[in-house]
Amino acid sequence: MKKVVMYTLSTCPWCMRAKKFFREHDVPFEYTDYDKADDSTKKAIRADCLAHGSEMSFPFVKIGGDVVVGYNPDKYSKLLGL
Amino acid sequence: MDTEKRKEQLRTMFAKVVDHLGYKFSPDEELVDFLLEQEVNIEKEKGHPFCPCQGLTGEREYDMKLVCPCIPFHREHYDAMKRCWCGMYVHKDVDDPDSLMQISLKEFLESKK
Repeated sequence: MKKVVMYTLSTCPWCMRAKKFFREHDVPFEYTDYDKADDSTKKAIRADCLAHGSEMSFPFVKIGGDVVVGYNPDKYSKLLGL
Repeated sequence: MDTEKRKEQLRTMFAKVVDHLGYKFSPDEELVDFLLEQEVNIEKEKGHPFCPCQGLTGEREYDMKLVCPCIPFHREHYDAMKRCWCGMYVHKDVDDPDSLMQISLKEFLESKK
């Protein structure tokens, strides 16, 4: 299965829904809450977001080599072949 | 000031602003209540009720565009989604917010080409 890595905010309900989606589908994932991260991690996340042409709108979901910005269960499913 | 009182103050203040922009609070009361609470907590920590779904950079010029309601700064993008990124506000003609998707800024800009 493709690796799922997310950047999230602890204050963002759509980030919570994204985490719930992956848990309910038994998809392992890693995540970092941007707002709780240290300065160097924040800087790295920001650079990653900007490199993908995105503002820092969360959730920022990497599925394998693809990026989905926002809560989009249809796209998550398609990329994971669920 | 306690959180509930500040939430109601923000609700009253924001309603007046978004009304002029053609928006209203989402009918999803649970979502709105959660987001208002996050904004009160963010305001206590950061000094302003920033959007709970956008990352702050520490750069004032950028971050001030994310003070709720951030619709004026993102008008075209939000008009295309018929909601703000958080979903706290929807266009006045929206009754079913569940049908509205988050469209990334990149996708939105590409759709305009």
